Amino acid sequence: MEPILKTENLWKIYRAGRLDVAALRGVNVDVYPGEFVSVMGPSGCGKSTLLHVIGGLSQASRGRVLLDGNDLAALGDAGRTLLRRHKVGFVFQRFNLLPTLNAKGNIALAQHIHGDGFDPHRFDVVTRMLGLTDRLDHRPSELSGGEQQRVAIARAIINEPKIVLADEPTGNLDTKNSENVLGLLRQLNKDLGQTIVMITHNPEAAAYGNRVLHMRDGLVVDGASAN
Amino acid sequence: MIRHMILRNVMYRPVRTCITIIAVAIEVTLVLIVVGLTSGMLSDTAKRIEGIGADIMVQPPSASIFMAFSGAPMPIEIGQKLAQIKNVRAVAPVLLQFNSTNGLDIIYGIDPESFREVSGGFVFHDGRDLQNANDILVDDWYAKGRKVKVGETLHVLGHDFNVAGIVEHGKGARLFVLMSTLQELSGARDKASVFFIRCDHPEQTAKVIGAISQLLPHYEVRPLRDYLSLMTSSNLPGLQTFIHSMIMLAAGIGFLVILLSMYTTIIERTREIGVLKSLGASRGYIVRVILSETIALCLAGILLGVAMSYTVRWLFLTAFPTLTIVVAPSWLLRAAAIAIIGGLVGASYPAWIASRKDPVEALAYE
Ligand SMILES: Nc1ncnc2c1ncn2[C@@H]1O[C@H](COP(=O)(O)OP(=O)(O)O)[C@@H](O)[C@H]1O
Ligand SMILES: [Mg+2]
Repeated sequence: MEPILKTENLWKIYRAGRLDVAALRGVNVDVYPGEFVSVMGPSGCGKSTLLHVIGGLSQASRGRVLLDGNDLAALGDAGRTLLRRHKVGFVFQRFNLLPTLNAKGNIALAQHIHGDGFDPHRFDVVTRMLGLTDRLDHRPSELSGGEQQRVAIARAIINEPKIVLADEPTGNLDTKNSENVLGLLRQLNKDLGQTIVMITHNPEAAAYGNRVLHMRDGLVVDGASAN
Repeated sequence: MIRHMILRNVMYRPVRTCITIIAVAIEVTLVLIVVGLTSGMLSDTAKRIEGIGADIMVQPPSASIFMAFSGAPMPIEIGQKLAQIKNVRAVAPVLLQFNSTNGLDIIYGIDPESFREVSGGFVFHDGRDLQNANDILVDDWYAKGRKVKVGETLHVLGHDFNVAGIVEHGKGARLFVLMSTLQELSGARDKASVFFIRCDHPEQTAKVIGAISQLLPHYEVRPLRDYLSLMTSSNLPGLQTFIHSMIMLAAGIGFLVILLSMYTTIIERTREIGVLKSLGASRGYIVRVILSETIALCLAGILLGVAMSYTVRWLFLTAFPTLTIVVAPSWLLRAAAIAIIGGLVGASYPAWIASRKDPVEALAYE
């Protein structure tokens, strides 16, 4: 089987003033369809940077990123925009819902940007699965953290992305809500075969995945590929 | 979807939204009132001058067609020379003077006899013609607006006049005094600002104009038949500049307020823009969101501005009943277009910035 995501000698160098910071220093990882990969490592080791680069939010300095057969390094801004639109779903630590739209609007917005219009069936399936059916008319400010993150997950998967990239999705949640959200991610992975890469600090959270990838100083030190 | 988002966005910051809308409304009002006032004043003046009933108007060299602006007087003897030209039936010299007590009015200093011959005479609503040095005639609009009655005293040009009669409007000015009185008051002895000429037959106008032009080479000689059509701001360079400046000023207000408003909006919503980008929104999509929001604000401002214009017009007309303010439909459209274009130009820089934001930086924005 071909990996859905593959990086080859991936480098990301930030220019901070006169200093160059190498956040990724030759990362090689494979993610196969249907995997739920947890990414662990100390703060500042390059986890978020890796997620941004493989999701097409920022550009690699060197090396290759193959996502569903497309080489992101060869794509310009417009190409990466299309890739994000059609193949990637992001979930952030801070939920990042639009405060002016209610839950339904936030999810529908992703469908609108995706361009296929509103698909009521898919919307129904996703919101029911995430237990959001009676929260849809509420604005983010009227929802609990756990509910907001469930809306964000619904928004991420509404367009059936090839891969969901989650950056510490439980970082702002209490234990109970964390367990709830992690359980939902596992369910998405198991029931829908959704491929997920999730960054986390917490070993218990990491255990929800079926592989843990360890990073240190811009390198993957363990679990780079399924075997 | 975008429409839904805009509605929520503009309601999210009600004060900023209101201020922006009011600024656009002021812009629209300014354009409509300035244009309405000038074109009202012009058509009003033009109609009144046409209404005199003369065939030809003679003014000193390089005088403005908007007579009121041209003070430079001519020696009164020119009138005798004009009267000798073939086919000229009557010549009426008139001295013009502005009166700025209580609004702006033009006063005609006339010689009743020649003015009657040229114009066919006043229609009197009340009172009698000019006889004494301190007599004044007012037209019916002026009388109504200022509540003036025959026999009362009217203070204009620092002088107390006796209201001798009230005449039908439409004979050049709203106030008439004897030319000799006005000459004295304005220190223009034996001078006239304009000569109105009546030909034996209207068809002789062109021929007579030719003869006058030969006699007085550099003088402004105009037929009055087409006066109204001549009396547009585009024939008045100074006025045109004034109108253009006011429109630029108005558009500048709209431009700057929208620029500032949308700029603060996109700064405030930096993270949301990052979210849109992470969802795969293109630069065009983000530009569209911001410009659509701008258009929504402008449309609201235009509606309010039109309402405000009619209110201001009503206030003006209540305060100064002799004014004419023409709010033409074509100018409603133009004012709306100015507001929208100014707004879009103002929003284009913030929209451009927003569309080019780096998604990762935007998402990290606090
Ligand atoms: N925009 C940036 N400019 C400069 N340095 C950055 C930038 N973003 C991240 N870094 C640096 O890159 C390294 C990796 O950061 P990050 O990927 O956020 O780590 P993690 O998510 O593992 O905590 C850190 O040393 C961080 O300071
Ligand atoms: Mg991080």
